[in-house]
Amino acid sequence: MSHPALVVLQKEVRDNLRDRRAVTMALFFPLLGPVVLAMTLTLVSKQQRGSEEKPLALSVAGREHAPNLVAFLQSAGVVLEAAPADPERAVRAGDLDLVVVIPPEFGERLRAGRPAPVRLVIDDSRQSAHAATGRARRLLEGYGHQLGMQRLLARGVSPALTEGVALETVDLATPESRAALLLALLPYFVILAVFVGGMYIAIDATAGERERQSLEPLLLNPVPRWCHVAAKVSATALFASVALGETLIGFALVPLVLPIESLGFVIRLDPGMLVRVFLLALPLVLLVSSLQIVVAARARSFKAAQSSLSLLMMVPVLPGMMLAFVPVKLKLWMALVPTLGEQLVVARLLRGEVVPFLAVAPVMVGTALWAAVLFALGVRTFRGERIVFGA
Amino acid sequence: MIELDAVFKSFGKVRALDGVSFRVPDGRITGLLGPNGAGKTTALRVIYGVLEPDSGRATVDGHDATRDRAAAQRRLGVLPHAHGLYPRLTAREHLAYFGRLHGLDGPALDRRVEELVEELGLKDFADRRTDGFSQGQRLKVALARALVHAPRNVVFDEPTSGLDVAGTRAVRALLRRLRDEGRCVLFSSHIMQEVSALCDEVVVIAGGKVVASGSPDALREATGKDSLEDAFVAAIGSEEGLA
Repeated sequence: MSHPALVVLQKEVRDNLRDRRAVTMALFFPLLGPVVLAMTLTLVSKQQRGSEEKPLALSVAGREHAPNLVAFLQSAGVVLEAAPADPERAVRAGDLDLVVVIPPEFGERLRAGRPAPVRLVIDDSRQSAHAATGRARRLLEGYGHQLGMQRLLARGVSPALTEGVALETVDLATPESRAALLLALLPYFVILAVFVGGMYIAIDATAGERERQSLEPLLLNPVPRWCHVAAKVSATALFASVALGETLIGFALVPLVLPIESLGFVIRLDPGMLVRVFLLALPLVLLVSSLQIVVAARARSFKAAQSSLSLLMMVPVLPGMMLAFVPVKLKLWMALVPTLGEQLVVARLLRGEVVPFLAVAPVMVGTALWAAVLFALGVRTFRGERIVFGA
Repeated sequence: MIELDAVFKSFGKVRALDGVSFRVPDGRITGLLGPNGAGKTTALRVIYGVLEPDSGRATVDGHDATRDRAAAQRRLGVLPHAHGLYPRLTAREHLAYFGRLHGLDGPALDRRVEELVEELGLKDFADRRTDGFSQGQRLKVALARALVHAPRNVVFDEPTSGLDVAGTRAVRALLRRLRDEGRCVLFSSHIMQEVSALCDEVVVIAGGKVVASGSPDALREATGKDSLEDAFVAAIGSEEGLA
């Protein structure tokens, strides 16, 4: 004879494995995180390669007015392209990112020792043109600077005199922290998988069971009510764990497909780290499953349960967003806020930091306590008379 | 044997059961007759432990339906008013699920499921998923599920509602067979024909109170009416809600 909770658990799993919607949600949705990561990485790498490594192509109008400048640009590796008849229109229409215009008076002014005008026609609101514009501006300023130096030298003045301040930038951005924004999103995907994986089974086992009127017959069996709650929470947790594992395996596969290191930042996605994330998230799986069972059991209908649980899924976005824009250090009270503590620890693990067990323990214990409270609430809900009729 | 002793139950301001007492003996079919809203379903729900009485108690073979719910439920087979099935499980899986919840397992469970499939005529659709079953097929599965543990007492809430003639006859035959096996049979109905055709004992309930009880003959005598129908109407005090 098996324990009644096991009998119910077995039935819920079998029943829901036959539900195409539940299985689709549990199997495909968790791949969203890894897919977004892979797509973002591909995009970032394309942009970087596209703007930095490729030779700069420049349309220069009025080349004949400044042969020396043109030679300078060519020696810097710029590919010169034919200029359009109307530079401003070409840029406005988006045919070209930028056009360099050298007016006829350039040579005359240069010979007179006055600043020689060079016009840069750009559309500053166009993000994709920023890299090319920046490079063109730096090249042109460099040419101007070089001319100035030569003039000073010709007059016997040390060019160093013109440098009032020697600005030196020390860039402390490690490859890891450069990926910070991307990394801030990954913990959220981990949490999301936990929410989505068991969502349908949680609804089906409670509000769904009541809506198809099978709940009353079920509760007529000589089975303590806590067994029903334990079984339904476990079934939900099982689906959620599968979804969680799938998300993590997906993340682990990304570096095998894409050369992350060549992008100049490091994300730690090795199996050991992912196992640690999985273990860290287990209390969260129980908490989310209990919460979903409680909310769905108290919902008026299947549809009402569905919209409540979808809303619930949005709640952990808030700490995720906060993490993306404001760097936060883990404090004790945060560890006790479910999903926030997990996201902070997962973020640190992904960044390649070693998180001491003493920092992880409060997060796991805090979440486990919340899970226990919600489980007790679930048992209370199932013991009440209203469970049969709807809240 | 099922007993209700001075059971009160209110939902907010509505008093659904107003001191209901009656006894359902073994080896008899007892009909709980009353108009819609009389408190029939509430009374049955107290018996099968889904509702807790405000005061008074219900017992099944002497086991308190509230305080000793599991023991009472083990001796009770119930067809609740709402008896939905799982659309993705087969008829046989329904029986096995409830059998296992009653502690049956292994060959004993297989034997019992096979017996019920045979007895209730589920054979043709036993291994089909219940999604798309007819009303009659659904009811058969729900009845078989309720009887999987061979309970000494059975409670059926309006078992023939929505059934065609053949289905109704099959349910009546089942009730008689359960009685002849010596079980305690209680069913509710608002259909007088059914009650008079089937019952050895009648409990008439109206406005949350038992207004008459006894054998159909005793009822006729007490009200001084010749037909059972007139006797019911006389007991309830109105024709409203009966059929």
